Amino acid sequence: MALGVTGYVILAVLALTVVAFIAAKARAKSAAGGDVRLLHSLPNYYGYNAAMFTAVPALGVLVIWLMAQPMLIENAIFDRLPDHLIEDGFSRNLMMSDVRRVAEGLDVAVSAGAMTEERADRIRTEFSDVRSILGSVGVALGSDVRPEVLSAAQQYRKSSAIGMGWMTGVVLILAALGAFVSVFVSGADFRARNVVERFVLSMLIVAASLAILTTVGIVLSMLFESLNFFRMHPWTDFFFGGQWAPNFRGNSDLSILPLLWGTLYISIVALMVAIPIGLFAAIYLSEYAGPKVRAFAKPLLEILAGIPTIVYGLFALLTVGPFLVSIFGRGEAGLLGVDWMSGATAVLTAGLVMGIMLIPFVSSLSDDIINAVPQAMRDGSLGLGSTKSETIRQVVLPAALPGIVGAVLLAASRAIGETMIVVLGAGAIAKFSLNPLEAMTTITTRIVSQLTGDTDFASPETLVAFALGLTLFVLTLGLNVLALYIVRRYREQYE
Amino acid sequence: MNDMRILERDVDAKAIKIAARNVQVFYGDNHAIKDVDVDIEDKTVTAFIGPSGCGKSTFLRCLNRMNDTIDVCRVEGDIAIDGEDIYDKRVDPVQLRAKVGMVFQKPNPFPKSIYDNVAYGPRIHGLAQNKAELDEIVEHSLRSAAIWDEVKDRLSAPGTGLSGGQQQRLCIARAVATQPEVLLMDEPCSALDPIATAQVEELIDDLRQNFSVVIVTHSMQQAARVSQKTAFFHLGNLVEYGETGTIFTNPVDPRTESYITGRIG
Repeated sequence: MALGVTGYVILAVLALTVVAFIAAKARAKSAAGGDVRLLHSLPNYYGYNAAMFTAVPALGVLVIWLMAQPMLIENAIFDRLPDHLIEDGFSRNLMMSDVRRVAEGLDVAVSAGAMTEERADRIRTEFSDVRSILGSVGVALGSDVRPEVLSAAQQYRKSSAIGMGWMTGVVLILAALGAFVSVFVSGADFRARNVVERFVLSMLIVAASLAILTTVGIVLSMLFESLNFFRMHPWTDFFFGGQWAPNFRGNSDLSILPLLWGTLYISIVALMVAIPIGLFAAIYLSEYAGPKVRAFAKPLLEILAGIPTIVYGLFALLTVGPFLVSIFGRGEAGLLGVDWMSGATAVLTAGLVMGIMLIPFVSSLSDDIINAVPQAMRDGSLGLGSTKSETIRQVVLPAALPGIVGAVLLAASRAIGETMIVVLGAGAIAKFSLNPLEAMTTITTRIVSQLTGDTDFASPETLVAFALGLTLFVLTLGLNVLALYIVRRYREQYE
Repeated sequence: MNDMRILERDVDAKAIKIAARNVQVFYGDNHAIKDVDVDIEDKTVTAFIGPSGCGKSTFLRCLNRMNDTIDVCRVEGDIAIDGEDIYDKRVDPVQLRAKVGMVFQKPNPFPKSIYDNVAYGPRIHGLAQNKAELDEIVEHSLRSAAIWDEVKDRLSAPGTGLSGGQQQRLCIARAVATQPEVLLMDEPCSALDPIATAQVEELIDDLRQNFSVVIVTHSMQQAARVSQKTAFFHLGNLVEYGETGTIFTNPVDPRTESYITGRIG
């Protein structure tokens, strides 16, 4: 029983698929009398066609069945659970997970030989200690099994077994039917090639729509949780309040504005680091560097983009922060002899490190954009007797400007959504301040802190994370759309 | 080719503007130009003709050292403008290019206004003392490129919004504005329709009054219409150089005859 019913069904479908492939190919060949030139398609196409008609509908039904069956059974069982159990303070989910756990335990006990199938169906808490029997086969339960839960679990097992039986039948019949029909039609005139082509097309469409549907799903889930939040907390306080002071006893001030300020301030510092350095690096690489330097320097610069952001966070916390403190802090012992900075976490710490992280974004995109400026522009300017830097400043950069703006906006949306660097480097204090040496906090760090630890998903203090996430999503989406719009308009100019 | 105005041609000997001796050009290992000797006269239109890849554009780009911008390109031999070797170490190629203007195959106006396109060179080289002088240079250049009347009401409109022929004349105005002594044109009409071509050709004939013009062209009719001297390039060699009328009616070299009669090319 190592494989389970589902495993055997899948194996059977795959075996049928192989058989269908070989049979369809052979049938097509014999239909052509051994001369494959008489066939509409190459023999393999008949095989592929048969294989996909055998496997795809059967496996598709299998997947849907596996997802739907537990939900249906749980709903049915839940209706039968006596109401007083739920009133006792058990939430529906906890109750159902108990039922599932007991049902699994019974399965394990049966397969380990601790009880017979019949006994598992009939066992009663009144007569035997279910908890210790299950414990003896390695299934630990948190408390004694209630009779209602046990009977629900038995019901669960019974329904599952029936469902599995039906599933096996339906899937195997579908596979056999697909195999039979597709092998049967594999004659010389059947356009197997075109059918396979359409199948490939539909697979690609499914892949694309899955990606889109997932995005829609994420947005919808955030939207619903945000609506829950706004039912408990006034939206005016969220958008227009001035305080961020979550308090798990209730009555918190949950305003996005101080967090938004921290986010924007750190992003601006980061962009002030990343834009000049990235842009100058891009200009050097695209206009001045020889092919050898370029082949070596560009990948090296792009390695920066591959460093995990948590590593940047460590760098901020352990290297950049203390370094800044040694300059701006410690009073007399510091380099400047001032005491402006007390801790390693500050806007400047996070901003500097995030700026370093963004350099490859700006430089790599700008490099591509500068390279896309036609050589004819440079020739025209050089031919008039201007130097290389005059040409870059007055012709190349103005021509590339829209694209560079797009690159900067993409980097900005990356900065606003960045999490790990600010979690470690920026601090946790929400406030409005212009001092870059003070600790501040961002939207992303607050999402992390509201959702980690003991959380109650019914309180506004937790649900606010979804509203914050949605706002962040809207913000970065807007920036990305704007950036893509600008870049696209720019591209039309030359192609 | 009845429109060759042999009789109208000014056949008086003129001052030599550019003297090239024993010029070799290499692209990496490829020997693109071999032993080219040519004397280009002042206030004359000289046409370079020849089949594709024969090296005529490459040679043209040697005359203002535009080949310096290509890494693998190497030039040997002597090229002198007004007796001064332009490949001498003391010569700044950037200054040289101000003296030897260039118009390219495809119109390449900068993404700026018409005015700024023309004012680009004078601004870089500091040719104007003040705005009024700059205005004057711009107007004069646009007039000499025969495009003033078409653009005088929209000098602040982007140069890229003009038609192809207008763009090319704008590029000529841009080259004229730096007050060069020689104007190099690399197939200036190959991207233009016949009407725009006729306008540019007429313009080239006018420019001869003030500049030495060197034009590379694919069209033998164009060479015959606009030039006084013609050089025929073939496979990197200068095959024949002389009066345009002579080249087209009485060529010495059999390869020249084959080309102009359409047997090679």
